[in-house]
Amino acid sequence: MFFKHVRRNAAKYRKNNGLFFSSLVVAIVAFYTLLSLGDQDVMRFLKTIESDAVSKLMLLIPAVYMISLFFVFFLVYFTYRYQLDNRKKEFGLYLMLGMKRSTLFAMLMSETIWNSLVSILLGLPIALLLTEGISLATAKLVGLGIIGHKISFSIPAVLGTVIGFIAVQMIAMLFLSAAFSRKEPMELLRSDSPEKQVSLSGKKGWLGLVLGLFFLILAYAIGVTMLRSFDFKIVMLVLALGGSGTFLLYHGMGVFIGHKIQQKSPARSGLFTFTGRQIQENVLHQYRALAVSSLLLLMALACISFGIGVASGRGSQETRTVDFSIEGSKQEVCGVLDSEASKSMISMYYPMFLGSMNTNLYDQTGAVLESKPNAHELSWAGLSAALANLPETDLRNNMMENFSDRSGSYLISETSYNNLLQTIGKKPIQLGKSQVALYTSMKDSSDFINNLDDALKSGTYIEVDDRKYELLPNIYFDNVVADRKITLYSALIVSDEDFKNWASDSSTPFCWNVLLSQKTVNEKGLMQAILSMEQNFAGTGLEYESYIGGIGRNLFYTVAASYLTIYLGILFMVIANTVIGLKYLMQQRENKRRYLTLLMLGADVDDLCKSAGTQICLFFALVLGVAVFSSVFAIWSMFTSFLKLPVGTSLVKVIVIAGISSILFVMIECIYIHIVEHTSSREIQALRVRDRGNAF
Amino acid sequence: MNLDRVLQVESVTKVYGKGDNKTEALRGISFDVLEGEFLGIMGASGSGKTTLLNCIATMIKPSSGRILLKGSDISSFRGTQLADYRGKEIGYLFQEFELLDNLTARENIILPLSLHGVTGKQAGGELQELASRMDIVDVLNKFPSQMSGGQKQRVAAARALISKPSIVLADEPTGALDSKNSKVLLDKLYAINKEQQKTIVMVTHDANAASYCSRILFIQDGRLFHELRKNVKTETRDSFYERIVTAIAQLGGGSANVL
Repeated sequence: MFFKHVRRNAAKYRKNNGLFFSSLVVAIVAFYTLLSLGDQDVMRFLKTIESDAVSKLMLLIPAVYMISLFFVFFLVYFTYRYQLDNRKKEFGLYLMLGMKRSTLFAMLMSETIWNSLVSILLGLPIALLLTEGISLATAKLVGLGIIGHKISFSIPAVLGTVIGFIAVQMIAMLFLSAAFSRKEPMELLRSDSPEKQVSLSGKKGWLGLVLGLFFLILAYAIGVTMLRSFDFKIVMLVLALGGSGTFLLYHGMGVFIGHKIQQKSPARSGLFTFTGRQIQENVLHQYRALAVSSLLLLMALACISFGIGVASGRGSQETRTVDFSIEGSKQEVCGVLDSEASKSMISMYYPMFLGSMNTNLYDQTGAVLESKPNAHELSWAGLSAALANLPETDLRNNMMENFSDRSGSYLISETSYNNLLQTIGKKPIQLGKSQVALYTSMKDSSDFINNLDDALKSGTYIEVDDRKYELLPNIYFDNVVADRKITLYSALIVSDEDFKNWASDSSTPFCWNVLLSQKTVNEKGLMQAILSMEQNFAGTGLEYESYIGGIGRNLFYTVAASYLTIYLGILFMVIANTVIGLKYLMQQRENKRRYLTLLMLGADVDDLCKSAGTQICLFFALVLGVAVFSSVFAIWSMFTSFLKLPVGTSLVKVIVIAGISSILFVMIECIYIHIVEHTSSREIQALRVRDRGNAF
Repeated sequence: MNLDRVLQVESVTKVYGKGDNKTEALRGISFDVLEGEFLGIMGASGSGKTTLLNCIATMIKPSSGRILLKGSDISSFRGTQLADYRGKEIGYLFQEFELLDNLTARENIILPLSLHGVTGKQAGGELQELASRMDIVDVLNKFPSQMSGGQKQRVAAARALISKPSIVLADEPTGALDSKNSKVLLDKLYAINKEQQKTIVMVTHDANAASYCSRILFIQDGRLFHELRKNVKTETRDSFYERIVTAIAQLGGGSANVL
């Protein structure tokens, strides 16, 4: 009998609270997705080449999980409070009919466990499907191929999800049912009266509003202008100003709304005043929940933008130029590469002539440290002069200092570089007599590139042995070797003849670059193709670096950072929206009598539903408005400081992704608003004037 | 004479439940209310007086019989007509005031008008007049939580009167008030009834409140049981009060014999 009752109550709850039940299912999916990250194909692959970084990430995951559990706790707490408030009378009756408090408590806990089990049974299969999908999609995206795919059903992840989820539910319910079962039956039976209208003194409210706005503007300004250096103190200052500003703003907003109503209501009829006063009351009573939800939404927007930024910034511009860079003599290398096994997989290979210029070595003051035979004289004076014409920044000063060093610059031969350009389908460089081009691998720093670009565009030169060489107006930055660890601050692409004359060792190539054929890559997937090519090198004693090693770390950061932040973002969004929706519905239920009175005074049911709809839209808009407005500045300061998109990132692509995510965001908000409106209309339509007797 | 009849209640019955569970709350009640009358309805708990008032207020539908307000059958009203009836033709005064506590007194009073498209500005004159008559000018900008019980009920009365209804229905309006505030409210209602010829139907337990009426219907077990008329010209309120108390005593003591 007891369990039948529990099951029936639990089913009724799920039916009446579809939205919030689905939020719980989403939470389960999110939990499993996070906990099973280590079993994803990409992560299993990365473990083989970046085991340190991966194991560090795996240590981080429990922390992230705890944070998400903490936030989900609030979601669960609010959902259950809403549900229990609805059932107060029922509990009062149980107690009056002689049910023991302990039995009531046991009943509530059993219902919670039963509901948790149902959510888990629903959520886990969805989570499994989703993680398999993500696993396959990312594997395909990064070229792992699906050959190595393993079904990633992770028992620890399932256990973690189930334990975490049930624990959070039990704790939330424990708090609530303890509070409920302490109440006297009369308190429960009586329909609770809404909180008294808080008459916030005008002055205090306006002060809060003005201070809140001031703090927020200050936070925006500091965030946008001073966050570039990522100083911990400044970050804390921005967080403190932004957080307290948001709270103060919402605290004072009620007075502002009241003022607006008093201004406008004499000229308006219908439910205008009622609707306005309802919103004002909601804001006055719930300003904390509004501020928290707004901040959560802001965090969600920032997290998702960060995730998208990292994914599109690091993933997209990565042009694959070289699959292998092999060190060795021509004989050795060609011997291996021309073998039957290798030949079929390779599209081309070529020597990469990269060396340093034979110059004397100078110290910082410009005095000679070590003089060399047949040394050449290099001068960057032309470029430095062009840089000096740019607006003064720390970066420009650094660059001028770096380019004052006349010690051996790196040189790349024109033919080698053109071979590289050819493999990626770019137009070759044509250096005229007395022309050189500037190369750098620091393409992730867009300010650096922009400064160089501006300087080069103004027409500049270098001097070698007192002869001027014009620098081409374009800057080149395609990776010259497979190993990403090698970075070149600057190098000169020079004609083969100049390379021969100037390089310390011009006869032996730095390495041999190999590019796999597109057919092989298409057949096997890039990662698998590289792994099988590596087998051909095994036992030959050749030293080589592969594309995988280079991008492994890069890929790791992309996957880890974007995955985790998007995960947190979605979780924050679900929680914030659910809290707003619940807060509104709870308030409407508390004000049931007001709606009944309005019906008695001759209000139309449709008008009441419309008024509720307006209240819901405005309630959401208040939260969303501040969050979206703040997020503009958050994202702005993020993309101008630590998340600069590297040069070459397709702006169109970023805009398209941002656009799609914005549309998705708007759609999700619309769905939430629609569901809350629907629930609210259903409750209003269920009100009958004759219920009045019961409402007393 | 027909013109003077504001409300006609004709053989109204109300049955709750079905079969064996049937409860007859009203068993065929008929009476008329004349324009300008202050009618009291008295009866013991469960006698059906509140059911009767709720039928007139369209809160519940009678099982049979008709209720005519100025000649039109209110049970046939639907949608806008029903909303208009509730908002314009009747003013309702509740025992628990039922003010919206997030609206100021002014906003509460205007509410029935604004629900029917009248703005606060347009209703300004009417509001001021009512407010001074009800002695609530000082509290117009206050919220219910900042008012006393008496002030709340007078605000509620102003709300019931603002739309110039044909009839004011009051359900135990003094039930939640102390004797001093009850007297103030009843004096006001009495004055409005006298000066403006406003028709009032009041359900009450209280013999003192009933003594303000010009006629009293006693209901028992869903039937009209007795009727008292005040001789308006000659009878004082005190002597009418005596008669009411006597009637109540007879109702209580003699009911077993009557049925």
